[in-house]
Amino acid sequence: MRLVRIATAFSFCLLFASFASFAAPAQKQKGRAAKPPTKSQKPIVVAPIDTAALKNILSEQRERPLLINFWATWCDPCRDEFPDLVKIDSEYRPQSMDFITVSLDDFSDIKTSVPQFLGTMKANMPAYLLNVPDPEPAIDLVDPGWSGSLPATFLFNAKGEVVYKHFGRVDPNELRAAIDKLVKKTDE
Amino acid sequence: MKNLAILLAFVFVIAGLAATGTRAVEGEIPAPPAIGATIEDFSLPDVNGTERSLKSLAGKKGTVLLFIAVQCPVSNAYNERMEKLAEDYKAKGIAVIGINSNVKEDAEAVKAHAAEHKLTFPILKDPGNKIADKLGASVTPEAYFVDQNNKLLYHGRIDNSRNADQIETSDLRNALDASLAGKAIEKTEAKAFGCTIKRG
Repeated sequence: MRLVRIATAFSFCLLFASFASFAAPAQKQKGRAAKPPTKSQKPIVVAPIDTAALKNILSEQRERPLLINFWATWCDPCRDEFPDLVKIDSEYRPQSMDFITVSLDDFSDIKTSVPQFLGTMKANMPAYLLNVPDPEPAIDLVDPGWSGSLPATFLFNAKGEVVYKHFGRVDPNELRAAIDKLVKKTDE
Repeated sequence: MKNLAILLAFVFVIAGLAATGTRAVEGEIPAPPAIGATIEDFSLPDVNGTERSLKSLAGKKGTVLLFIAVQCPVSNAYNERMEKLAEDYKAKGIAVIGINSNVKEDAEAVKAHAAEHKLTFPILKDPGNKIADKLGASVTPEAYFVDQNNKLLYHGRIDNSRNADQIETSDLRNALDASLAGKAIEKTEAKAFGCTIKRG
């Protein structure tokens, strides 16, 4: 009987934890305004990028793979996945992979909510904001199969070929596995 | 011991459900119907809970289905343009119907939002995102234009920019105008850009 009681308590704890995880995104929505970076933190600069400049980045000769994440501050799954991306950035970019983020927020947010959010996330990867009147050519440039839905994450090998892509919140382990096929982590 | 085994099995089932429940559903959106395909008639409740069929709301010369949202800033940037579209084409025989498939936005919120932004076209609530799945809608705003026989003629964005002062291509209006003029629609698909529909 004692074992049954212990198992019952355990099951209730598990149930509580699972419901808490369902509730978490809703709670995050309430506090949408990102906190500004602390004084000791380097200010985040978000650079505008147009389709031609994006094309240059994608087509330039490179020695390392390139990871690109397209996101927006108003996109909940984008915000949710950012801590995982920041961790992956710290694991790979110092030695073996390039990583840039491209925000699809409105241009008026380039000095406000976009850098504020990146600062809160302690995101140090080069950050851009797509500044184009029409996003479709940029979307097609990256991947004709991409509908434009966010978030979208693409891993290009050194030859500039897409070797991994994911639409929606990324699975960090799946992304790491894709990167590991191309590079070695910093701590290895 | 038997009780313990049943209890543990229950725990693992719950844990499994929790794990799958937190997985993102993006990427599992069904493909949209091809241009030229016929959209079956459907019924959805309006913001007052009254069931409305596509057939009962359709225009004599076609219908625009617009997937819209309450909280999405991109969709909201189009509020005035969507209302103007509905006004401009009503007299020409094309009806505009809004569909809200976001699981977190209930009928009351949709009703209040429509009143606040003076959206006068009918807006239907899509519980369980059944119609969003049927049409492969992924973002808001996203438009589908069907003719009087429910044949899909256009699918995609309303225009090229969320900023009204940067509009260069009014893809949806171009499709409606071509259809009304009896001409072939030059661009039948244009990628819709906006907030991902929050599916249940």
